[in-house]
Amino acid sequence: MNRLLPVLVLAAAGLAGADSGAEYPPPVNYMLHCMGCHLPDGSGGPPDVPDVRGEMGCLLSVEGGREYLVQVPGAAQAPISNAELAAVVNYMLETFNADTLPGEYAPLTETEVAGWRKDWLPDVAAVREELMARVEREAVENCTGAQK
Amino acid sequence: MNWLDRLIEDSTRRVARSSSRRSFLTRLGTAIAGSAVAVPLLPVARGAESAGSRAEPPDESGKSGDEYDPTSCAYWRHCAIDGFACACCGGSQSSCPPGTELAGMTWLGTCRNPDDGKDYIISYNDCCGKGSCGQCLCNRNEGDMPMWMPPKSNDINWCQGVASQSYHCTIAAVVGVAVENG
Repeated sequence: MNRLLPVLVLAAAGLAGADSGAEYPPPVNYMLHCMGCHLPDGSGGPPDVPDVRGEMGCLLSVEGGREYLVQVPGAAQAPISNAELAAVVNYMLETFNADTLPGEYAPLTETEVAGWRKDWLPDVAAVREELMARVEREAVENCTGAQK
Repeated sequence: MNWLDRLIEDSTRRVARSSSRRSFLTRLGTAIAGSAVAVPLLPVARGAESAGSRAEPPDESGKSGDEYDPTSCAYWRHCAIDGFACACCGGSQSSCPPGTELAGMTWLGTCRNPDDGKDYIISYNDCCGKGSCGQCLCNRNEGDMPMWMPPKSNDINWCQGVASQSYHCTIAAVVGVAVENG
């Protein structure tokens, strides 16, 4: 127990911190919860850390892609509210994916995120591959032939 | 081959007449120095700009005490550090020691500046490529999560995306201000 206690205390402290009630604007949440791996410019480190410039916008045009954006582990498990997650994903779409957004782009809503987020994806790579194949098949504008 | 020689000689002389080495060097120098100024060299600095709300670090000059000493574990930016402070290893709180490489992937948290009371976003990038520095070990862990939540854990080796995964020390760079909504 002596060895377990610090872990439990740490977990409790971390959870308390995660639910402190502070809500930050999207650029701050990007820095705190996304930038560490996806890097400041969104380039990430493919294949382990996806590049979030371009493909995110393409995914909005195919079935299942919109949900996927908040079901990937990094998004689904980020210690932020549904409203904050919707806002930070919209921020990433508008900042890094302006060229690939569909013509009828509608930002994600808090309600959508609340519905999808709990079904996070254990085998994210397989789903991603299927979605990108769909993008290719449906020849989404500005999205084919230049996959990263 | 005579015509080719003449052609090249003529064009070379034309270029030589209409320009000087000095003007070429001036342009080259401007291009190099200008781009160095325009593009900050640290990934963290680039990040702050692209992610918006770029923050200048609060003024720490002239302040004394452990809270303002980058070689102290009590340094205000060290609130969530787990590692050797680079300021004790030949680097500083915002730059790696010579011979090490800054890892772009990192873990970030917020620390409250004791002077202005604001929460600043601190990027705890590791410096990699040499063995452990061994100086000024500091493990404060505010907001740190266990390993089951990797993006929020400072216990993992953040020497990712660099040539060598051997960990040397950790910097604590200010990349933004965490201003709450509302």
